[in-house]
Amino acid sequence: MSANSANISASSAGSKKSLKTFSDDIWKNKTAKINAELFTLTYGSIVSQLCTDFERDFKKVNSHLSAMGYNIGVRLIEDFLARTALPRCDSFTQTSEVISKCAFKIFLNVTPQVGNWSSSKDTFSLFLDENPLSDFVELPMDAVKELWYSNILCGVLKGALEMVQMDCDVWFVSDVLRGDQNTEMRVKLNRIMKEEIPAGED
Amino acid sequence: MAIQTILVINKSGGLVYQRDFIKTSAKLSSNEYLILAGTLQGVVAIASQVTPKALQISAKAGSKTANEPSQLIPYVGSLGAPTQNLSDMGSFMGQDFFNESFASWNQSGLKHVTTDQLSMFLYQTLTGLKFVAISTQSTTNAMAVSIAENLLRKAYCLYADYVMKNPFHDPDMPIKCELFDSHLAELVGQL
Amino acid sequence: MVDSGLASEVNEHQRLQLQFQLFQESLPKVDETVYRMLLNEAVPLAIGVERSLNHLEEDSTDQLETDLNSKLTFESQELGASHKLLQEYMTADQDQQIRINTRLENIGFQLGQKLSQLLIFSNNPNLSFKDMDLLSVMKFVCRDVWKQVFGKQIDNLKTNHRGTFYLLDYNYKPIESFTLEEDLSDQEQKMMEPFLHVPCGMIRGVLASLGFEKEDQVTCQATLVEAPDSKQAGASAFAKSVSFNVQVLVER
Repeated sequence: MSANSANISASSAGSKKSLKTFSDDIWKNKTAKINAELFTLTYGSIVSQLCTDFERDFKKVNSHLSAMGYNIGVRLIEDFLARTALPRCDSFTQTSEVISKCAFKIFLNVTPQVGNWSSSKDTFSLFLDENPLSDFVELPMDAVKELWYSNILCGVLKGALEMVQMDCDVWFVSDVLRGDQNTEMRVKLNRIMKEEIPAGED
Repeated sequence: MAIQTILVINKSGGLVYQRDFIKTSAKLSSNEYLILAGTLQGVVAIASQVTPKALQISAKAGSKTANEPSQLIPYVGSLGAPTQNLSDMGSFMGQDFFNESFASWNQSGLKHVTTDQLSMFLYQTLTGLKFVAISTQSTTNAMAVSIAENLLRKAYCLYADYVMKNPFHDPDMPIKCELFDSHLAELVGQL
Repeated sequence: MVDSGLASEVNEHQRLQLQFQLFQESLPKVDETVYRMLLNEAVPLAIGVERSLNHLEEDSTDQLETDLNSKLTFESQELGASHKLLQEYMTADQDQQIRINTRLENIGFQLGQKLSQLLIFSNNPNLSFKDMDLLSVMKFVCRDVWKQVFGKQIDNLKTNHRGTFYLLDYNYKPIESFTLEEDLSDQEQKMMEPFLHVPCGMIRGVLASLGFEKEDQVTCQATLVEAPDSKQAGASAFAKSVSFNVQVLVER
């Protein structure tokens, strides 16, 4: 199904491209780039200031990071759609492919693995083997149990998906920073907001 | 093809941007533009509802069989391509904003209106924004339609690049953004 | 560099420059848009933090039951869209504004501190730390720090050689896409304020990490100014530029 979406969007002059090739091309040729370490440092400064402000009440830090991400997500989605012009996904499986192979690729230059689908196919996981937000980061002892360092990503995904009429919950279940085996995000589709889908899309 | 006016309509049907590129004798008042925006919003919806059932079903079946050329808008090169300076392109790089044919998100809604004097083209995004171009030429030419779709997708790129990056921008309020203005004028001017 | 004839020195210099450039390009990258959004979004975030901290204060003065309730609603409620948060800055009282701006300066400061390490360890041939006097530190800020973070250098550096510097950026990137009228109203000036505290903090952070670290040794203030006409030709749509006034107390 993902191949289908890529064909529709990226077939030019009869050449059929996969979603991966399509995204690689955008990343390589169409994207203004900036040093990833600068990105890491900036995000680190923001998180650490939040921890100070809330006197290490990490639950609040998590929710503020997610709220910040939400505000980015609702804007970033326009950039994503304008760049890619990808058609609406006809399944949540396809959405997961677009998020991992395309969105993560062209914005952060990483491709998380999709997996761990729920039996009803409404929840999946993204496994972040690489995470530019948390490169070289070590959490202080008191934060290890409660802080979801990259929680901003949850907000970004939630905000972006909401703008394309998908009401989702996004949360972290594990993070290598906390000593876990891997970094796993869950994305759960609550419902498609059919009433808000623009007319004309069938 | 000379573009007379470009409009941007937000997802709830409110007019958030209107700009004339040609001084015309018959100019609509701002109130009339608001009505036009609201009307277009309604007509797009109605148009998609009057699509005959048989067509809807065949379109659904068709979309499952991968490529459907009728839904693809061919890329029209050298159309207002800001090639001079990379920094002028905002976050988009390269020779042009995009260089491949692309699928239209608006499959059954209103896309194109022609009178004897003018044509109106409508591009709708997945988030429900509508970009509308009014041209001074009456045309039903398929090429003109693709040119307009290309132009309006570029207007969308500019929107993503300049309007969305202004944290003060309220999606329900009119767009006030010099850079969007000037780049859009440049884009239309190069046509 | 060994003094071995001008020509070879130039070549050596070019070679190092090229090597440095290749090295920079080989580093991992992310999309610039995402970074710009992250940096600017820190401002509404700082305002949102201020709001919820005030909420918390109110909570603690309330009775236990209501305390519990309001906390629950706070967790579930969205903080609000960026543009709404930014407007809140305008209605905040002066103490709150100061706290918001300090918060942003701190973010900038931390970034600046780490940034200079990042830049120094990158073997930049333009940097020599043999005689790192104040002027060369400021040049480092104008050239390398600015280039790294904003993709361009500071356009003009003025100094009285006694610790006062003016850094002029005719097209300060983060506010590039903001709507700025020719005649900026006081209110609009005010709204830009928090955005300028991040780079101020950053400048102080860089200076602190390079030896100017005593408390209150460095002050930095930024103001929006009119760009000189000559420089405006390139960016006609943008009439506003930013002037950073850096004061460094130097012992003599």
